[in-house]
Amino acid sequence: MAEITEVAGFGVALDRAYDPAGHFWVSMVAPGRARIGMDALGVETSGTIAQLAFLAVGEHLERGEAFGSLEAAKFVGPLTSPLSGRVTATNDAVVVDPALVERDPYSAGWLVEMDIADAGELGGLVSGAQPIRVWFEAEVEDYRLKGVLAE
Amino acid sequence: MPELRVVDFGRVSALRSQTLWHALAYGVSAGGPPTLSFMRPSRPYVGLGYHRRLEEADIAACREAGLPVFRRMVGGGVVYLDEHQQFFQICLPAASVSRNRQRALRELLSPAVAAFRAAGVPAELDDHLEIVVGEAKICGHGAAQIDDAVVVVGNLIERFDHAAAARVLALPDEVRSEVVRLMERFVAATPVDSATFRTAAIAAYGEALGLQPVSGWLSASERERLLELDGRFRSPAWLRGPGRPAPQCGEVKVRAGVHVVWTEQEGRRALATVVGGHIERMQVSDPGLDGALTAALAKVRLPG
Repeated sequence: MAEITEVAGFGVALDRAYDPAGHFWVSMVAPGRARIGMDALGVETSGTIAQLAFLAVGEHLERGEAFGSLEAAKFVGPLTSPLSGRVTATNDAVVVDPALVERDPYSAGWLVEMDIADAGELGGLVSGAQPIRVWFEAEVEDYRLKGVLAE
Repeated sequence: MPELRVVDFGRVSALRSQTLWHALAYGVSAGGPPTLSFMRPSRPYVGLGYHRRLEEADIAACREAGLPVFRRMVGGGVVYLDEHQQFFQICLPAASVSRNRQRALRELLSPAVAAFRAAGVPAELDDHLEIVVGEAKICGHGAAQIDDAVVVVGNLIERFDHAAAARVLALPDEVRSEVVRLMERFVAATPVDSATFRTAAIAAYGEALGLQPVSGWLSASERERLLELDGRFRSPAWLRGPGRPAPQCGEVKVRAGVHVVWTEQEGRRALATVVGGHIERMQVSDPGLDGALTAALAKVRLPG
């Protein structure tokens, strides 16, 4: 289980990196291999997740391309990859039970693993406890100002 | 004031009643103007939500009835569509839509509710984001982000054939009967003038979005995209869709908050009707049981 710290009212795991563009986390599980999941703010704004689908293992994709899709309230949207690489594993457990992403976004609710193609892209992620706190607090504040989050 | 492109395609083929608005979505994603579109299919067909298993549709029954089946890029289930439904779609750049999906849906369905009301239908948007009159859903909606555009689709149902809608679902007869019963209670047509509805929708979306409605048509790139989509939507691979595991039990959602769930094991079947989170009705059938007992169990009502 990941250690979860509360930041601006949301649980955040500080032991990994975050994509500031898409609210996905990245955790290195082996040299060159990353596990990707959705952070608490991504879960909050998605609503109740009804369906998840992923690219097949072996597919290549570029950063910013979809590694899968999510459906909530009959709204289908892309899961946008924070990194370029080749999909090596997908989490079948969340396909069968999408609510697992909501219950445990940082551990059992992970989404895909990939062999990353460009380690330099990791530099574009937010990492380190304090930078994550600062970034996440700013994101929550921005979402509240824009009315994305309920008061 | 920025423009809201309004495109009324009128009556189109079943295929084009899907591919036209998908082409518009790609056009909006590529920088085209926000667009409100309308069309009506010229014949019945079956639409499949993006993530749904093809096996959820009774393909043999569809073939026998001459109903083509097309997978759409928005969510939802297996739906029966026909010429008595006026489709509408609102499509906007994704950056202009709330990142909160529920909020986005509420904002983009509210003008449709205003249009229903202007056409004389006392419609409301309920807490499940269904457009309803009383407890009955009157509009089938879905939404998607397609590249950098968000599209929300819906329909004005002038007449609805509940039996035909249930017939295209791959269900045991006993389950189908229950689905029809629930559809008759929870899905209703609103036979109002579609031209009035369209006019009101144009005004409501223009006002809500702060855009000036202007009649328009497909761009050259959207026409090219349309041809690609025509081919994609006819392809077996697209129809098959993303691979999905078979669920542990069967489920049909009649409207938000109204489900029929069932499971079968060695000839025994348990079927539950769930309304608003409560089991409203339960049926258990077992060929090994005495017929009278099965009939008695079928009448059991649990407190709601």
